Amino acid sequence: MKIQYSYLKNFLNTNLSQKKLSDVFTQVGFECEIEGNLIEFDITPNRGDALSLRGLEREFYAYQSKKPSQKLETSLLKLIQDKKIINEIDGSGCGNYHLMLVKGLQKIKNLDSKKRTFIESAGIPLINPLVDLGNYVMLELGAPMHVFDLAKLALPINVQFPQEKHNSVTVIGGDIKDVQSSSLTIQDQSGIQAIAGIIGSEASSVSSSTSSIAVEAAFFRPEVIVNQARKYGLATDASHRFERGVDPELQQLALERYLFLLGQIAEHDSVELYYSYSIKTKKKNIKFDIARFNKFSGLSLKASKAILILKNLGFKVHARSEKNVTFKIPSHRFDISIEEDLYEELLRSYGYDNIPTSKPKAGPITNNKQNHALGNLRLGLVHSGFKELMHMPFVSRDSFHQLNSNNWKPAELHNPINENEPLLRGSLFKSLFAAVNSNVKKGHTSIKVFEAGNVFKKEKSGFTQSLHLSGIVYHHEPQQTWSQKELTYNFFSLKAEISKLLQTLGMQNIELQKASSLAPFNENVLDIFIGKQKIGVMGEIDLSVTEKLVKKQAHGFVIYPEKISLSSVNPKIVKTSKFPLSTRDINIVIDKSISYEEVESLISQGTIKHLVSFSLINTFEGKDIPKGYVSMTLRFTFQSNTKSLLESEINSSMQTILKLLEKRLNAKIRS
Amino acid sequence: MQIPQDLIETAALKLKSVQSEAEFFQLRAQYLGKKSFVVSAFSKLRDLQSDKKVNAAKELNVLKNNLTKLFETSFEDIEHKSDLKKLDVTLPADPFFVGSEHPITKISQKIINYFSSLNYQIFSGNEIETDFYNFEALNFPENHPARQMHDTFYLSSSSKSEYLLRTHTSNTQVHAMLEEDLPLYMLSPGRVFRCDSDTTHLPMFTQIEGLVVDEDVTFGDLKGVLIDFLEDFFNEKMEVRFRPSYFPFTEPSAEVDIKFGKQGWLEILGCGMVHPNVLNGCNIDTKKFRGFAFGMGVERLAMLYYGVTDIREFYSSNLDFLNQFPS
Repeated sequence: MKIQYSYLKNFLNTNLSQKKLSDVFTQVGFECEIEGNLIEFDITPNRGDALSLRGLEREFYAYQSKKPSQKLETSLLKLIQDKKIINEIDGSGCGNYHLMLVKGLQKIKNLDSKKRTFIESAGIPLINPLVDLGNYVMLELGAPMHVFDLAKLALPINVQFPQEKHNSVTVIGGDIKDVQSSSLTIQDQSGIQAIAGIIGSEASSVSSSTSSIAVEAAFFRPEVIVNQARKYGLATDASHRFERGVDPELQQLALERYLFLLGQIAEHDSVELYYSYSIKTKKKNIKFDIARFNKFSGLSLKASKAILILKNLGFKVHARSEKNVTFKIPSHRFDISIEEDLYEELLRSYGYDNIPTSKPKAGPITNNKQNHALGNLRLGLVHSGFKELMHMPFVSRDSFHQLNSNNWKPAELHNPINENEPLLRGSLFKSLFAAVNSNVKKGHTSIKVFEAGNVFKKEKSGFTQSLHLSGIVYHHEPQQTWSQKELTYNFFSLKAEISKLLQTLGMQNIELQKASSLAPFNENVLDIFIGKQKIGVMGEIDLSVTEKLVKKQAHGFVIYPEKISLSSVNPKIVKTSKFPLSTRDINIVIDKSISYEEVESLISQGTIKHLVSFSLINTFEGKDIPKGYVSMTLRFTFQSNTKSLLESEINSSMQTILKLLEKRLNAKIRS
Repeated sequence: MQIPQDLIETAALKLKSVQSEAEFFQLRAQYLGKKSFVVSAFSKLRDLQSDKKVNAAKELNVLKNNLTKLFETSFEDIEHKSDLKKLDVTLPADPFFVGSEHPITKISQKIINYFSSLNYQIFSGNEIETDFYNFEALNFPENHPARQMHDTFYLSSSSKSEYLLRTHTSNTQVHAMLEEDLPLYMLSPGRVFRCDSDTTHLPMFTQIEGLVVDEDVTFGDLKGVLIDFLEDFFNEKMEVRFRPSYFPFTEPSAEVDIKFGKQGWLEILGCGMVHPNVLNGCNIDTKKFRGFAFGMGVERLAMLYYGVTDIREFYSSNLDFLNQFPS
């Protein structure tokens, strides 16, 4: 709500500067921003009562522990009930409905320039003096009004939800709106004349030739107005107030004020005020327990002080016992419904900053529930030179289907911010590809990046999210060094990097298994297991799924941190040997179709005496090696826990290995 | 015959400053060559009487052996020195990558570390959530205008429950209050989503929410922990102000501002005492327990902490931007 500072200052009868006045309101809970000669108030949705000069005045004076002295001038009216004027009102949507009929209007002048500037600076356009006056009273008192041209109405009025399925109405401004059955309407004998609390019809609107008017002031229930204005794309100043709540006892006063001010700009012959109500709103009473309040706040306030503060805010003492005070809640404070609401009022007025602070208290010691490996993996990657990125999770249908299998059903947004990206990601790789692309375009040639985030999947009932940690290594050109060494990054560099990462984190029992190609990887891909649990995948990126964002061979991985429990990586410590290690190398020639994994598992499962480890140290194809065969140099390391091994003992173990390789893999031993 | 006492010591001292093999052999000749003291002393033995001759010969042999050993062991060191290939150590290192955590991760971790030290448990929670946990259980009834403060992304679903992307991390509070034992001290960091995008708002950002439910918790406790946290975070004494505000799930509610240099008062977080409707809805006995909650935007804190001026940079994958953050 924007209010002209000079107008507000006069209304409040204060000399405070614009800055000081803004600070006061900010301090009592209405955040202010200064915009030229205006103050913009950010009124929270629970405080519809403050959306007027009168509302601000109440807060301003309560803050100073004073009562406002100003009485607004009105022209008193008598209330009449007459079914010929207001027939039925639907109580589920309307608490009361007032219609002031003013006939024989003549010599209508504009409002004075001060009021006109005030209205305009609040962002409300000037339309017609009779309408402008309604808007002025709304800004002054907080009760929205609507002014009909009485000659264009076929009375009586009904306030009801539309009966027919399709009702359209041409609203002020000329737009045709299809009125929904959930919208409360003001209907006369010819049809809908207004969507309650939002906008009137063009047909019954006032014009320069209008000589009699029907001015409406009503209490529409917030729950029937809320979200209605948005549906029609018509968020008006009236709807803003109605959906936050308008004082249900304000309508008569507002019309009397309108009539008084009307006297300043026009003459009229007659005036009558009709009304109808569904249920009279009950006055709320709330008990207040000072001891409980002090425990709640950490203060030790005396009851008399608390009562004084609440009285200044308009809460009247209804009853008093030794322990409790019962307060009567004024009709404009519909936000107050429980004892804690009074605590807030009291603390707000006392000043949050005046409440003493206590030292931070610690909670009980418990096991932390979040026990997965993300934090450790992230640090490991950072130490391997990876940069962490973060991206939005929205993706297009195309990139989703490039990266996810057909049985992965996407989670789709009903109201995406960008229509081209309506799905939630099922993989982090699209963003990583885009990151490679944008940085290569800027001239970066070597990129190592990763991201941690949730991916989403639609299930039969509901949705699931799972945490992924994905990374990519990309070299747009081989890295050159001054020493002329050319550093190439290949599949095995990635394998080393990921193995190092996982083993550094204590996962010694990692198993890497050849996998079948799955987006975004091509056929050179490995699944990563701990026991039977798959914890990730790594491999070469299939460039055909990158939507041309990645131009040269890239390597990537995805790890599922939630699948790695930190407690599972606690090592079992064994006593180490104090005797020396011995190594022996052998050269074998085997059929190329035999994978290294087969050699590895044969030896690992062969229970070779004293063997502690072995590794592949060289492979060779070509001269002296038959076509379709490969030569491998394997290095074996032996050690005993109890003695230094004798040459004969090592030789015996080597013989066992050689026999195994010859027998099972048809390997030839090369001298 | 007089043997100089410090012969060995001076030889050892001179050996230390030898830089090349040539210098070494020159020094060796000086101590063990034809004209050295040892060799010439041996030739002078015959002039001595036989009883003195035996003793002197013994002493000379010991001396000669010690000198020989000294020169032998020193020779290896001299050889290493002369093998040394001199490098231009100012040439650049082999190529290497410098990794780093994302600034949002770093700031989140900084916040988590503070509250973890007070035994707050960490819960990440669901990013796709039902209307119940995101709104209803937090005292945002249907058609409440406060829902309009949250521009919500809804998911297309044929299921009865309405699914959405959480608009705040407060949903995790509800899960924790329904599932965990009391007293509860918890922190829920995570991503939240609003259907809103301009130069100062992103459709996704990071929030950290804290919740305490315990006996005898006061508004003063809430103030105390937040002021202490802010001073720990910025590592200086802070001017902090609490201002009345409104969140449906807290009553009273407050915004917390800090005075930040020339920028004046800046809104930094929201907080309040947990609304009794929320506690009751989670089956918590409000006669026995009370609670407070607070929530902060990590991007905002990161912008202040690092002096970043455009929030969009955090999600831009711009390596030139990210390279500025040390690990």
